[in-house]
Amino acid sequence: MIEKILIVDDSPVSRKIMKSCMPEDKGYEMFEAGDGQSGIDKYQQFKPDLTFMDLTMPVMDGMQALQQIIKIDPKAVVVVCTADVQMKTIFKVMNLGALMVVRKPVSKQAIEDALRKAEDKLKNINE
Amino acid sequence: MGNSEIVISDEELDILQEVMNIAFGKASAALAEIIDIYVVLSIPDIRLMKTEEVPGYIEAEINDFKNISVIKQNYTGKFHGSALLFFPGGAGKKLFPLFDSDQAAAPESESLDFVPEKETLLEVGNILIGASVSKVAELLDDEVSYRPPRIIVESRPGDIVDWDLAEPEGPAILMRTVFSFDNRDISGLLFLIPSYKSFEWLKKALHAFLEQYE
Repeated sequence: MIEKILIVDDSPVSRKIMKSCMPEDKGYEMFEAGDGQSGIDKYQQFKPDLTFMDLTMPVMDGMQALQQIIKIDPKAVVVVCTADVQMKTIFKVMNLGALMVVRKPVSKQAIEDALRKAEDKLKNINE
Repeated sequence: MGNSEIVISDEELDILQEVMNIAFGKASAALAEIIDIYVVLSIPDIRLMKTEEVPGYIEAEINDFKNISVIKQNYTGKFHGSALLFFPGGAGKKLFPLFDSDQAAAPESESLDFVPEKETLLEVGNILIGASVSKVAELLDDEVSYRPPRIIVESRPGDIVDWDLAEPEGPAILMRTVFSFDNRDISGLLFLIPSYKSFEWLKKALHAFLEQYE
């Protein structure tokens, strides 16, 4: 079950949009990070059930951060949110262990689909 | 930066940054769909400056390019202005084979007088500029039309911009990203410079964009 969600995105506007698309009745505990390195730090600190990861970020990009998080926790559930929807980008992040890719700008529907898929993944991990 | 602080707020800049991030992402995907190339994007950079400072800023940005090719396209709508895409000399020759698989190798000429190279750059410019500007317009609920793109070989980039789009002493917003073409050793710089006359609309449109999520 998803209780804690980490959003890693350098744009405060994008983080705000992401949060606004979350179902209000679920009461998720939300954490935010503004770059890949900070995302890894927050991941280790809060152990979120689900991480939404942007790709183009300062300090450390989302591709590297995803790689590091999966290395730290191979069972990490990471959804990549990006405007860069080149097929090669999608293949790369899926190969690195992302659960799925959500295209920016995100919609409520896309976030709900991601949450559902993440719940299924977590269920499988815990079984 | 002078009086530019009053033109657009920090919040509006943050929204614009995200809009440009989405638009430039769309542009790279559009190009990758057409030619077999992986496009790496830099973080979009939004800068406010006096219009008179724009040429110097762009010149400094392209300082490393010995020769430059510039694709310029103006767009009109509520969001209107100029897009400038700078490539280092020889980029057309490197990119041309990607559009024409029958070409085992591009001609040796470094000159842009060779039409296929010029056409290649125009096509790349058309895709990158068209996809980014159209995505901005879509996100901000506008519709734009385009003037035909032009390719210019120009040593003074400051002379390229239509300065009638902005007040000479007024503020300018520069939206910049760097496109790098993986395995091709080519980087291009794309600038969108909206007209000062569209600032008022732009500010309202940015708030409307965010409000749909509130």
